[in-house]
Amino acid sequence: MSAKKPIIEIKNVSYSYESIDGRRISALDGISLSIERGSFVAVLGHNGSGKSTLAKLLNMILTPEKGEIYFDGERVSGPGDIDENVMYAVRRRVGMVHQNPDNQIVATIVEEDVAFGPENLGIPPQEIRDRVDAALAAVGMTEYARHAPHRLSGGQKQRVAIAGILAMMPECIIFDESTAMLDPSGRAEVMEIIKKLNKERNITIILITHDMMEAAMADRIVILNDGRVYADGTPQEIFSQVDRMRAIKLDVPETTAFMYELSSLGLTLPRGVFNVRECAEAVAAALFAAGKVRV
Amino acid sequence: MRDITLGQYYPGNSVLHRADPRAKLVCAILYIAAVFMCRSALAFIVIIAATAVSIALSGIPLRVLLRSMKSLIFIIIFTAFINLFLTTSGELLFRFYFIKIYSKGIINTIVMILRITLLIAGSGVFLTYTTTPIALTDGLEQLLAPLRKLRLPVHEFSMMMTIALRFIPTLVEETDKIMNAQKARGADFGTGSLLSRARALLPILIPLFIAAFRRADELAIAMECRCYHGGEGRTRMNVLHLRTPDFAIMAFCVILCIAAALINTYIPIFTLIG
Amino acid sequence: MSGIRLDGVSYVYSAGMPYEKKALDNISVEFEDGKMTGIIGHTGSGKSTLVQLLNGLLKPTSGKIYLGGTDIWAEPKKIRSVRFRVGLVMQYPEYQLFDETVRSDIAFGPRNMGLSDAEIKERVVEAARFAGLDESLLDKSPFELSGGQKRRAAIAGVMAMRPEVLVLDEPAAGLDPAGRESVLEGIRRYGRENKATVILVSHSMEDMAEYCDNIVVLSRGQLYLSGKTSDVFRHWEMLTKVGLGVPMITRVAAELRRLGVPMDDDIYTVSGAVANIAAIMAGKEGGSNA
Repeated sequence: MSAKKPIIEIKNVSYSYESIDGRRISALDGISLSIERGSFVAVLGHNGSGKSTLAKLLNMILTPEKGEIYFDGERVSGPGDIDENVMYAVRRRVGMVHQNPDNQIVATIVEEDVAFGPENLGIPPQEIRDRVDAALAAVGMTEYARHAPHRLSGGQKQRVAIAGILAMMPECIIFDESTAMLDPSGRAEVMEIIKKLNKERNITIILITHDMMEAAMADRIVILNDGRVYADGTPQEIFSQVDRMRAIKLDVPETTAFMYELSSLGLTLPRGVFNVRECAEAVAAALFAAGKVRV
Repeated sequence: MRDITLGQYYPGNSVLHRADPRAKLVCAILYIAAVFMCRSALAFIVIIAATAVSIALSGIPLRVLLRSMKSLIFIIIFTAFINLFLTTSGELLFRFYFIKIYSKGIINTIVMILRITLLIAGSGVFLTYTTTPIALTDGLEQLLAPLRKLRLPVHEFSMMMTIALRFIPTLVEETDKIMNAQKARGADFGTGSLLSRARALLPILIPLFIAAFRRADELAIAMECRCYHGGEGRTRMNVLHLRTPDFAIMAFCVILCIAAALINTYIPIFTLIG
Repeated sequence: MSGIRLDGVSYVYSAGMPYEKKALDNISVEFEDGKMTGIIGHTGSGKSTLVQLLNGLLKPTSGKIYLGGTDIWAEPKKIRSVRFRVGLVMQYPEYQLFDETVRSDIAFGPRNMGLSDAEIKERVVEAARFAGLDESLLDKSPFELSGGQKRRAAIAGVMAMRPEVLVLDEPAAGLDPAGRESVLEGIRRYGRENKATVILVSHSMEDMAEYCDNIVVLSRGQLYLSGKTSDVFRHWEMLTKVGLGVPMITRVAAELRRLGVPMDDDIYTVSGAVANIAAIMAGKEGGSNA
């Protein structure tokens, strides 16, 4: 990894919660992670793997039982009391888009919802107006500015939610399973915006998901299992470990699975490929090389 | 289906539609005061004329206004009858067994019907038909802002109203889904005794409440994530500005109030009551 | 046999109003008995309307729906009995749970059918087994269960009516991969053991490929394609045209054909693709030696 200063550092963080029948359940068990500024990190894992707890710790809805969280080199959260001013500063700089599009829109008019965050920050009215217009433009929702949110599609609602976060000018955005309730076109809309925000505005992205194909779009994948980091690496590195993924019942992309199975037929194939075209080219090349198919 | 969150809002672009909601709230209060001050026929004539002008200004069709009276017709008839039969002053005009009608009763009845009708028309024209509930909420919050100094939760009240308006359509939709899901399992809402019908609602109400609480919980977290911490230090994107037409309509209502008071005192022609 | 079939069915929302909307337009389709049929289409293609027509939650504006040879709306008063025969699991069904225990919640449908206590008891256990819900969970409150368990409990609530046609709208939406698999396996098990017709709406082409025998494709309220799963995915260009995908592996196979590898044109699962490559390798072995 490069020597860039991490935007977020999690050091040895543990968190547990009480279940309905009074047992303590460990959600995160001494995990350490360092997120580089401007990177696009996917956090993958089953329900109950600790993904959502991690998200809630990062923008200080929860505080760790053990361990510390650093933002931009400054310790912001740890066991015990937290400073409210620090907390609001972190929430402004680390935005969060949640899973259910309906349950994060506050106002009855799109642009007023986008204004909600800046209003809370006490920004002057004219500047809020400018930020709202810019945020709506960034997610392609300008023409819906005066619409009622409940009439929008799921994908459009999530875009409004993203605009609401963008208007606070965050440096990092966490997407907590933000595509799980959307249909394929809604997912595509949201993923497109996520990529754009990362590439064009250098906003650090933490994408929490259980969809392999979405995770494949990131620069780095962190897999959580039972509250620990199970694997951490580039998509290529992660997807080359088909056995390890299957061991914890995570899917690998069909392309990756296909190539993995073919290796057992005796074909020599590169590992960690998941793009359709690259996969087909690699398989064709291997077949030609083995003299199984003539051109 | 009509958008339930719009209430009775009748879309338009009249002076009254465009007016600042705070000005309209003030107008509505002044108008109500004027209506209650009327004691003479002349005062009523003035106020009816003023109401007619306001209706014309608002561009709300008369039939739309009349439709809103339809739902209140029972209240109007009920109060009319009470006034008609229970007033026992003035001249006895009519007698049929125990039913006695006095002249004063007839006058009271007419005044009562006039007042209710004017109140419905006036509040409709100034508020419900020309102002969306959300604008009304904003107006109320900003109008009552000084009361915050008295520790009244003005901002919290307005936030609650906004969230309620935001979630009404969502919960209506949710109710519909849950009803269909239970019908698919053979639930029967239409038959049986009153008690069994009430019980049949449980499979709808319980999931609905649970869903509402879940939504409230998620919304609260989402709001906190967006740095919400109550009304303190909060700014608004849309700050309401009173403009000339707003002052004009408020002045119109002030004049109406003064006129009603003066007519009662100085030109007591056809004094009806009091 | 169930024999569920649509004959020229159209459905119009808010008919006669200025904002009327035609959701389904003259659909005729027969669902193969005892098989799993997938319905795919965009949001707004009419899928959700279609599933609600199948069990009589909606009444067609025109056309007829036949179940076992009889028009389900022949006697509108008996529509409730149709709902017991055509079980519908709506989207996010866990939001319908309401009773004190999982057991009594699953029993809600059978109770409404007026079955005996003994029969209900047996059906609840059976449905829980199909849905993959552990018996130890039956006496808990449904609100103590995890997300995936709630989903399975809700599905069991419909299976307990032992419908001859089981219709499910996105039963695996929002679940993680392990949860998806367990739910879909349970549905398959129900279909096989009860010889029931299963109709499954899903956005996941991979799930469709894995579980469905037949596929019906809707686009803008019209029947766009229908047939055996392999036949439908063979028309992947047609599917892409209306904005629908095909399984990733189908695209890999198409790409391989373009590169000169003689893959079959009905590949839609990874195991199918691997078998195909194995056959090619075996078949060409002799050829290349000659």
